Amino acid sequence: MKKTLCFILLALTLSHAKEFNAPMKAYMEGLNAEAKATNPNFTGFDAKRGEALFFSKHTGKKGTEMSCVTCHSNDLKKGGQNINTNKPITALAPSVNVTRLTDVAEVEKWLRRNFNDVFAREGTALEKGDVLTYIITQ
Amino acid sequence: MKKILLMTALGLSVAFAGSVAPANNAQYQKECASCHFGYQPALLNKVSWEKVMTNLSDHFGTDASLGKVESEQILNYLVTNAGSGKITANNTTMQITKSPYFIKEHRKITPNLIEQKEVGSLANCMACHTTADKGSYSERAIVIPNYGSWK
Repeated sequence: MKKTLCFILLALTLSHAKEFNAPMKAYMEGLNAEAKATNPNFTGFDAKRGEALFFSKHTGKKGTEMSCVTCHSNDLKKGGQNINTNKPITALAPSVNVTRLTDVAEVEKWLRRNFNDVFAREGTALEKGDVLTYIITQ
Repeated sequence: MKKILLMTALGLSVAFAGSVAPANNAQYQKECASCHFGYQPALLNKVSWEKVMTNLSDHFGTDASLGKVESEQILNYLVTNAGSGKITANNTTMQITKSPYFIKEHRKITPNLIEQKEVGSLANCMACHTTADKGSYSERAIVIPNYGSWK
């Protein structure tokens, strides 16, 4: 009986997949250590801060105002569109796109590129950790 | 001798049929065609591709930077399959749309056909060249949104 319950709970957890896989967990721990080293008062990443960051507007690399949602759209469960080329972008939310936030190299590449495009600079460990914490819950 | 003649004839027919070899490199498709149409390597010459690949952190105003290994592998694919001849002649820029041949071929395309939202820019090949992804730019396969077949 206990076993069955355990199994159901496990199945429920997996079906919602709001957790990072092992390599991504290790990456998040690295960001965590970096954020802590920069600010001793840092107590952990926050999805709410990540959400605010995701929607915040900045003067981007091209000198025009943009935010993450310019290309990814307001609803992470839906696809977006590249503002420069009109090419469709698949949904960011892992709940509808299971490949999202699974490959550390891909995540690092896109964080580097997209922070540069939107913020005209690289993201800090705190910003990257917060935004990933927000996206994983979507 | 016969073989050489046949190959030359084949080569010429390809060059004149509005066709280029398709972009069949999985890594190129993944890294480059995730943001824009996968332009075939033959649409730019070797020098142009080298310029493109050394400027990825400022790729037409956006950051398209890659890791060193990926960057070198993709450059190798592009220069190995780079174009020559009339398609790329006299184009020293990084843009396919700046080649004299491209400009001549598109001279009758009026701004209203390009500016409409379904097209956006001349760099959006697939918007009108329905078989562009297969490397075929034949006139018969052109369908311009809100306008129809070409000619």
